[in-house]
Amino acid sequence: MSDDTIAVPFDIYRFLPGKDQIPRYQRYTLQLVPHTPVLTGLLQIRSELDPTLGLRYSCRSAICGSCAMQINSKSRLACETQVGPEVERHGRIVVEPMRNQPVLRDLVVDQSPFWREYQKVEPHLKLDPRRPMPEGKPTPMTPAEVDRFKETPRCIACAACYSACPAAEADPGFPGPMALAKLYRFVVDPRDTAHQERLLRIQPNGLWTCLRCHLCTEACPKDVRPSERIRDLKEMAIAVQGATELGSKHAYGFKENLKGAGQINEMKLVRATFGLSGMFGQVGQGIRVWRKKPEIMKKPRKIEGMDELDKIYAALDPPPKEDTP
Amino acid sequence: MRIAYYPGCLAQESAKELDMATRYVCRALGIELVEFPNFSCCGSGFIDEANEALNVAINARNLAIAEKAGLDLLTICSTCQGMLNLARVRMQDPSMKARVDAALKPLGIEYKGTTQVKHLLRVLTEDIGLDAVKAKVRRPLNGMKVGAFYGCHLLRPSDEMQSESGEEPRSFEDLLSAVGATPVDYRGRVMCCGFPILFVKPSTANTIAGRQILDAQAHGADAMATPCPLCHTSLDAYQNKAARAVESPLQMPVFHLPQVVALAFGASPEEIGLSRHLVRTDAAIAKIRPVART
Repeated sequence: MSDDTIAVPFDIYRFLPGKDQIPRYQRYTLQLVPHTPVLTGLLQIRSELDPTLGLRYSCRSAICGSCAMQINSKSRLACETQVGPEVERHGRIVVEPMRNQPVLRDLVVDQSPFWREYQKVEPHLKLDPRRPMPEGKPTPMTPAEVDRFKETPRCIACAACYSACPAAEADPGFPGPMALAKLYRFVVDPRDTAHQERLLRIQPNGLWTCLRCHLCTEACPKDVRPSERIRDLKEMAIAVQGATELGSKHAYGFKENLKGAGQINEMKLVRATFGLSGMFGQVGQGIRVWRKKPEIMKKPRKIEGMDELDKIYAALDPPPKEDTP
Repeated sequence: MRIAYYPGCLAQESAKELDMATRYVCRALGIELVEFPNFSCCGSGFIDEANEALNVAINARNLAIAEKAGLDLLTICSTCQGMLNLARVRMQDPSMKARVDAALKPLGIEYKGTTQVKHLLRVLTEDIGLDAVKAKVRRPLNGMKVGAFYGCHLLRPSDEMQSESGEEPRSFEDLLSAVGATPVDYRGRVMCCGFPILFVKPSTANTIAGRQILDAQAHGADAMATPCPLCHTSLDAYQNKAARAVESPLQMPVFHLPQVVALAFGASPEEIGLSRHLVRTDAAIAKIRPVART
């Protein structure tokens, strides 16, 4: 990238609750080389143009996770986002505080909702008191055991995923991507003795609110891929506990649904999720849609080669074994 | 061009209008759709949550069908696109491939990974090209402001989907411009429609859908358009519920992507099933103004 400077217009969200009626956007334009980090620009604005600008940062090296904010609507670390590509794409840099957390001042948010959800998943090892870890000695893991953590130990708790999450935005009871990725990390830890208990607890408490929109995975500066680990948790929860929630019943019911024809039978799926009595709650909307789209009541065409699909199910989704007493 | 046509469940059932419009557009552009009665459902992301290996195997079977015919595969649903592509990515993992191959090989199904999975949006913008699309436009959608709504699985995870961008795509807007419409820029265009939890957590799902519609509306959209029939269900068929969730009256017409293109190619509303929508589309169509000649 070029070392020639370019004009970088910053439009920065300014808001001091209690003093300001409504937020406003303030324009500052700097001359910067394209590979300048957004954070460097913000610090230059604060030191040269406006000492009242509120922002949170520390290491400037994408390690501490303090400077997550919205940069042109994307949740990013300001220290590792360069100004050049943003200006090229948008003509300016709109800087706003993270979403889903109340603003304290300008770009600084109150992270309590994020940390509250983190605490709820009990992000610490739960050990069997009868088998304490040997004092002063490491507990070795096999490479295969370490692999099961996937990328989750990389998390720096910057909350970019929480800011990007539409489920957290619409449902404050949703744990959020980071808390669930952290939960995964303990569920696969061979030293932890509460795997089942953790899964049993999360299934009715927000696991199935995840939309698998992958916005968290896109926002994560450390490639932790929370959406993919949430998927893993869902499969593990069904394996441990069966389908007990509407969400798992829907996923499990969908899987069973294809067995008939190889294509989705919409009515059968609604019944599998809600049960016969629960279907009544869907009748009003169902009729509304049916008037325009009568196919929702029709059985789907059976695909050719259904026997192949049956055999794939038999090989990879065998019925659960009866528990031997 | 010849391509294996993977319509997905919805376009054969409750979203038939999407299939109608797809066929209209492909006929006009000389895209030959090769049909396979043995394609199964892609699992819609739900089977992936219940059993990952099963989901990969089901879709590896679908891919192998197109592969055997030496064709790339055309999808018209962001979720089908995502699931079929995900199978392709997961099959690059040797342990997953071994498990899935063990189930497929006894059936005489061989998955090699040579077929590309392409959504109609990509076929129109890359393979056919916007100039060729423009050349077929008989009634430019001049004056109609449209908010593109991409659907998550078309874009993300962007590395695995090999998409143009996870959060800042442009191709749909470019296509809308090519057919004479005015694309609307709004944050919601890359957000979630709420569909995956529409039945599980309806209040949350409806709120999410409602917010995207409000966002498009606030940015001046006369209509929205989506390449995904699941998004269409959330945004159109359940718009009444979304309106209640966000406590605002909503009356946002929502087109399927090929319907917008077909309209510009001169299709009548009947030919592309517009009467099957829950929210009427005439107000948006009424915005179309003849192009001023200079």
